[in-house]
Amino acid sequence: MKTVRLGAGMAFWGDNIRAAVELVERGQIDYLCCDHLAELTMSILGKQRAKDPSRGYTRDVLDLMRAVLPTATEKGIKIVTNAGGANPRSCGEAVAAIARELGVTVKIAVVTGDDILHRIDDLMDAGVPFANMETGRPLADVRERLTHANVYTGAEGIVEALEAGADVVICGRVTDVALYIGPLVHELGWAPDDWHRIGIAAAAAHAAECGGQATGGLLDGGWRDIEGMEAMGYPIAEVSEDGSVVITKPDGTGGAVTVATVSEQMVYEIHDPGTYLTADVTGDFTQITLTEVGEDRVELGGVTGREAPEMLKVNIGYRAGFVGEVQFTYTWPDAYDKAQRGLEFLRERLKRADFQFDDDRVEYIGINSMFGDRIPEPVDADLDEIVVRYAARCQSASEAAKIFTQSVPLYNNGPAGVAGIGTRPPLKELYALWPCLIPRELITQEVELMEVAGE
Amino acid sequence: MSEQKVHDLAHGRSGDKGDVCNVGLVAWDDEGFDRLRRHLTEERVKEHFGSLVQGEVRRYEMPHIRALNFVMQGALDGGGTRSLRSDHLGKTMYAWLLRMPVPADD
Repeated sequence: MKTVRLGAGMAFWGDNIRAAVELVERGQIDYLCCDHLAELTMSILGKQRAKDPSRGYTRDVLDLMRAVLPTATEKGIKIVTNAGGANPRSCGEAVAAIARELGVTVKIAVVTGDDILHRIDDLMDAGVPFANMETGRPLADVRERLTHANVYTGAEGIVEALEAGADVVICGRVTDVALYIGPLVHELGWAPDDWHRIGIAAAAAHAAECGGQATGGLLDGGWRDIEGMEAMGYPIAEVSEDGSVVITKPDGTGGAVTVATVSEQMVYEIHDPGTYLTADVTGDFTQITLTEVGEDRVELGGVTGREAPEMLKVNIGYRAGFVGEVQFTYTWPDAYDKAQRGLEFLRERLKRADFQFDDDRVEYIGINSMFGDRIPEPVDADLDEIVVRYAARCQSASEAAKIFTQSVPLYNNGPAGVAGIGTRPPLKELYALWPCLIPRELITQEVELMEVAGE
Repeated sequence: MSEQKVHDLAHGRSGDKGDVCNVGLVAWDDEGFDRLRRHLTEERVKEHFGSLVQGEVRRYEMPHIRALNFVMQGALDGGGTRSLRSDHLGKTMYAWLLRMPVPADD
């Protein structure tokens, strides 16, 4: 019976490439599946592309390719990645340039079709409302401020690319799980509408897609027992033709694969486990079972799927103002009282500077920065120190900049025992997401091939 | 049985999707799972999160791995990309649920 081993090469933009190199060199994998995109990433990439039409992909893919391409092509390991981001074609060209430089022979496929920014007005005219799923508001509210609009697309382009013989498949905003579903459909001959098996593929993908989070990273239950976090092995999903799945990792790497590590990943960022919506399938993980079947080997069973949703999710980002932020620390004696006075000072100075803001927030780091008013106010008069963080959302960068400017006099005019204001922090431009849907028949993926002939 | 915290019965993980935060709990044993199911109703969990969660809380189960998943709307100050919170991605929200008291048994 045929079994395919899929390694989780990258789990986010900027992830260390060491885990991917280990998977390629000694993970005995068939595919390296690399997820470089988070919800926010597309806004940053969209902005990069707007400044320079050759940019807009996650450039960590270049180091990754340089490190793994020679061994991967030699061993026949295929690489599937969404590093193309807002510009898959330029990403493909950059990877081709690296292949030429390394002298490797490789067929690179670029999968497009997810980017609908240039089609937005036509689609709106054609009656797609793009209504915000959380607020119900029409897209017209933010139409002028869009940074990008990409559809979470499925595995069909990846399958087509692999069927055309691609060794490296570079996509834009395909779903994270499509990076795994595509190779499984291609290798195991599963029909794209074999909902049960595609549901299994989605579950295996979800287990692996966040890299170290399935192998002991971010583990809450039993975190002290995880050895070698500094050189965490990334997961391998071993999927067989009959639909059996084992999650494991390369031998001799850090971390662990246990029922606890995989369970925590399976509940991570899912909503209704009976309706795990992806572009390829509606997964049903309600009856999932996890069983330890060996050292660092956990079998995943009990999952299934139903027909894929008719509507695809669109990731639309828009510019939403700026955040200004400052931190300062007061020490004993009277640390908390002085912090209160320092904050009052800052707010009064801001008011006199005609500060305009939409929303602000105060945190005492070390006390309530995570849980706000759910944590009681400090009553310990002997508190050693307290860090104040003040942040506000503003419409313009110049308003946001006032926060730091008006905090500096705390060093001279406010209560004693203050330090740590530091130098002017960079202002953060905010991007908000506009979650909405589009009928799937309006989206078609396209595959282009580039061949590099090595020496 | 005396009063315990969720932390005594389960481990957890949390994350974000837009302004929605989900907290998954995985009970260490069947008895703990039963207690969590009885006591961690959607209403009580919403009350426990107070001002941190503006919208509704829905609970889902994955019984064979003894997991409860709480999906909380309006839980990240507008969502990870624009939230003013230090924890804009809700990574520590699970820890607040671990602190919730589970009353002595019925």
